[in-house]
Amino acid sequence: MTTRRITRRTFVKAAATAAAVTAAGRAPAFAQGTKLHILRWVDFIPACDVELKKQAADASKLLGAEVQFEFINANDLQSRITASVQSQSGPDIIHMLHNWPHLYENGLLDVSDLADWQGKDQGGFYPQSEAYAKVGGRFLALPHSIVPGLIAYRKSWFDEIGVKTFPKTYDDLRAVGTQLKKKGHPYGQTLGHTFGDAPAWAYPLMWNFGGQETDRSGKTAIDGKGSVEAVKFMTAFWKDACDEGGLAWDDTNNNRAFLGGEICATLNGASIYIAAKRGQEKIKDERGEPLVRDIQHARLPAGPAGSWSYHTAFAHGVMKYTKNPKLAKDFLKWFHGQEAFGRWFEVAEGFSVGATKRWERHPLWTTIDEPMKGFRTAPDNSRTMGYAGPPSAKATEVYSKYVIVDMFAKGAQAARPEDAVKWAAAELKKIYG
Amino acid sequence: MVIERPWKRWVYFYIPLTLFIIGTLFPFYWMLITAIRPDAELYRSWRAVNNTPFWTLHPTLEHFRDLFEKTTFPYWLWNTFFIAVVSTGISLFCGLLAGYALARLKFPMAGTLGTSIFVTYLVPPTLLFIPLADIIRNLQLGNTPWALILTYPTFLIPFCTWLLMGYFKTIPKELEECARIDGATRFGAMTRIIFPIAVPGILSAGIFAFTLSWNEFIYALVFLSSPERKTVPVGVVSEMIRGDIYFWGQLMAGALLGSIPVALVYSFFVEYYVTGLTGSVKG
Repeated sequence: MTTRRITRRTFVKAAATAAAVTAAGRAPAFAQGTKLHILRWVDFIPACDVELKKQAADASKLLGAEVQFEFINANDLQSRITASVQSQSGPDIIHMLHNWPHLYENGLLDVSDLADWQGKDQGGFYPQSEAYAKVGGRFLALPHSIVPGLIAYRKSWFDEIGVKTFPKTYDDLRAVGTQLKKKGHPYGQTLGHTFGDAPAWAYPLMWNFGGQETDRSGKTAIDGKGSVEAVKFMTAFWKDACDEGGLAWDDTNNNRAFLGGEICATLNGASIYIAAKRGQEKIKDERGEPLVRDIQHARLPAGPAGSWSYHTAFAHGVMKYTKNPKLAKDFLKWFHGQEAFGRWFEVAEGFSVGATKRWERHPLWTTIDEPMKGFRTAPDNSRTMGYAGPPSAKATEVYSKYVIVDMFAKGAQAARPEDAVKWAAAELKKIYG
Repeated sequence: MVIERPWKRWVYFYIPLTLFIIGTLFPFYWMLITAIRPDAELYRSWRAVNNTPFWTLHPTLEHFRDLFEKTTFPYWLWNTFFIAVVSTGISLFCGLLAGYALARLKFPMAGTLGTSIFVTYLVPPTLLFIPLADIIRNLQLGNTPWALILTYPTFLIPFCTWLLMGYFKTIPKELEECARIDGATRFGAMTRIIFPIAVPGILSAGIFAFTLSWNEFIYALVFLSSPERKTVPVGVVSEMIRGDIYFWGQLMAGALLGSIPVALVYSFFVEYYVTGLTGSVKG
């Protein structure tokens, strides 16, 4: 019997060959069995979540770790974040809405290096994406996307009263809305305690009449002429043009009222248009035609102080407690990269746009339906909650307590505008000190 | 008979009863009618001439089909059932022993302890989920049914103990004492004499515990993450509410199917349940 002797040279050769084969077959970056758990909201567009599941499989192969998405209702995200931060366990990456990185500052890892890369790679961030993700000069979350809000309106009803383009000023909107309400087609706007549509209407209304929550130094500054004028407008607009049931609406009611043919216009994301498009066999107008053909979008009108909007910014935060910070960052670099984000962006069909300006030039905008084209540059006029001060955790408290929304709701309920503003100023004083 | 005249019978009995039944059953009717109403009708304006909000002429099972084909609803149903049954079993077992001890055994601070146990039931889960999340992490039970099977008894055991303690107190001590004189041990008297008499109380505690586990939301939301491991309340809300779009048909179909097991449990044991709550053993 002959025995083959294993020399040092043959061992090194064999080991090198084995390593090469392994490297060719799969990514060796992380230990086998390593998992990456990403918690996101359930997307308004179901196909987006389907795309993300495909991307999870791609990322798993590429990174050599098991990447898994979990989707939950947006309203439940904060309960999960709180529990995760307190127990120091849970998802490695969590979806951040609005200015949440400011709220969860102590639970998030610094991702400034990734933000520098993404900003340079994709044409720079929109100001609100940067302001929301950057806390004390550091990016604590990586800006991902923005869901813009525009006014969806019924073209044919505006045409019937001779209005061919959407009103450019709040006063014009009130005049047109008054006529349409008399014809049984009121404007639909919620002033209820609901996370999206009510603040997206109330904050810009205050800004566009010259009001502001705080000054640049962060001191309350709401008690001024601009806020009073804004509330005066709301009081009159509500009575003359709006569906007065809106005080009790949540984010879903205006969708249903619009799709049910009850209101002529409403401020919303693209979800109304997309729902009408996907359900065009079922959702019809009063003539029996698919409702989607009668929908157009417009920006909020201008007030004496400008034409600002509030669009919701989204980001991804890497949690400090994660055992795989490198893997999480590697994943985000891939996930926010042009290839992966581009695939998701196309599926979103304009409902979500990029956090960076590069995506305004994407070929999607040349082929997309005409009414959706307004979403391309919509984020360019967004301010942040807390304006003119920073979007701090205190600004979130104001937002969470619906102080600005309630100020307008009081006006709609016939309180004196000056009293409504004074009440809001007192509430802000309690929060900001 | 106290009510003699027919109009009095109507005013004091039939009309209030009818209103009560309508008020109680209307949500279920609404759930059913929304679940079988086609989308075209769900989106029809309330002001439309052909709007029929309280019935439909075109019933469809489309929403039920979507629920089963596009989500992991059968898994949610099974998870909810499994978790509710096991946590109810554990809670009943502990509640029986604790309730008996507090009602029958004489030891210092027994009364205070009984009240304290009930007070712990009043601590809201929205406060408890944070420290419990820490415990679940330490035990490495996250995203498993055992996370809920372990946490649900934190509010079920106090409730069962309190309810059963009250029930045991209504059972005459003499029954047990007779058994003891005849040579039964305390454990024997408890299991052979007291527990069989306490069946209505045990069943009502069980039904309540099962219902509370079945409907629980916040712990299930926090401790479970994989879609196929979720329970009905969390799964339906996660998958059927997308921002400002509510898939009402599927939501109501899910709620309807999710409420059937609870309704069945109640309907089978309703007599025991009423006896258990109203009290007591008739002498």
